Amino acid sequence: MTLAFTLNGQPCATEAPDHWTVLDLLRDGLGLMGTKYGCGEGVCGTCTVLADGRPIRACLVLAAHVRDRALVTVEGLERDGRLDPLQIAFAERGAAQCGYCTPGIMLAAKALLLENPAPTEHEVREALSGNLCRCTGYTKIVEAVLAVAGTR
Amino acid sequence: MKDAIDALGRLDGEARLVAGGTALVAMIRLGLVKPDRLVSLHRVPALNRIAVEAGSLVLGAMATHADIERSRVVRDGWPLLAEATHRVATPAIRASGTIGGNLAYAEAASDPAPALLCLDAEVRIAGPARERVVPLARFFRGFYEAALEPGEIVTAVRIPPAPAGARGGYVKYTSRSAEDKPLVGVAALVALDAVGRCSEARIAIGGAAPTPIRAAGAERALRGEALTDAAVRAAAEAAAGEADPLSDLMGSASYRREMVRVWVRRLLMTLRDGTK
Repeated sequence: MTLAFTLNGQPCATEAPDHWTVLDLLRDGLGLMGTKYGCGEGVCGTCTVLADGRPIRACLVLAAHVRDRALVTVEGLERDGRLDPLQIAFAERGAAQCGYCTPGIMLAAKALLLENPAPTEHEVREALSGNLCRCTGYTKIVEAVLAVAGTR
Repeated sequence: MKDAIDALGRLDGEARLVAGGTALVAMIRLGLVKPDRLVSLHRVPALNRIAVEAGSLVLGAMATHADIERSRVVRDGWPLLAEATHRVATPAIRASGTIGGNLAYAEAASDPAPALLCLDAEVRIAGPARERVVPLARFFRGFYEAALEPGEIVTAVRIPPAPAGARGGYVKYTSRSAEDKPLVGVAALVALDAVGRCSEARIAIGGAAPTPIRAAGAERALRGEALTDAAVRAAAEAAAGEADPLSDLMGSASYRREMVRVWVRRLLMTLRDGTK
């Protein structure tokens, strides 16, 4: 099938097998390796990307369903060579250990901040409830998101 | 919609409908189903609408849980539904998963289903021969089995106005992690008359039987009664008796039955005491 959509702010037109998921499309079709393959069944959250500003599981959404929508992956957080405030906050606070969950967590946090620029800690934890980190615990991650919210 | 029905009815192999994909794509990846063709409803016009028609809420089958939980119309007029929808899985699943897909999947531990059963929802269905409407209570036919004939598609859910003055709530008990499906989920809607007796008592439970169920015995135990501790306990006892739970990795049948008793009681007491 032929697909046209917006990817990280740029128009994207590509061919993909009908049965592909968004995760297949990003990694195998477009070579964007920032979006990680974790459980492959929608549970762990590391493949989270944004579609029209909302978080989706790239492993569960069919590529055909992003037609005409706007996708943002971790590669699209950076703007004009400058890191997103979330990326800076995660780096400054050491809110990552192995880093495998980090792209998904940052996009889940981005979706929250787009909708609610000043979330409470409870709202941050709820927004990240579908993103599992098996290394650090969540303290630094939540602190980093709250720090970004405080500066907006 | 006609194109979708025609595509679904073609005879070249097994076709499956896909809405949000949160259930179906996971099942395909796990090798549980191997359809030859997928028929997507994404580009059927207006199938994701949320509207009020003649006082009833109408949710198009492709309305996502994220759309429903955020809808001002739903939150104001059908807050029980907004509350239950907000408890579905995680934000990313709610952004893709749809109400039509959730009901057609006929998951016993659905979060929206008990709320919709309490609200006397109806399912609108289109098919090759005709359109029809089925009360949700008769739509769930068995374990992961909905009352859909070959080629039929859920198009919308209609929810009549809640009884005036009714208070409702949904509690979800998960035995492992918060984003799991419920071990048991209980929705209740009660209305009290001038002297504090239940003029209306509706209770529905997910995870307590092969399908989501209305707990008719528990409702009878409350109707005409004040929400005393004794009446609430009697209703919880009746609900536990009506449960027909299965054992699985989340919990045994006997544990589920016990949790039905506990969570029906807690929800009714919360509704009585106005702490919700």
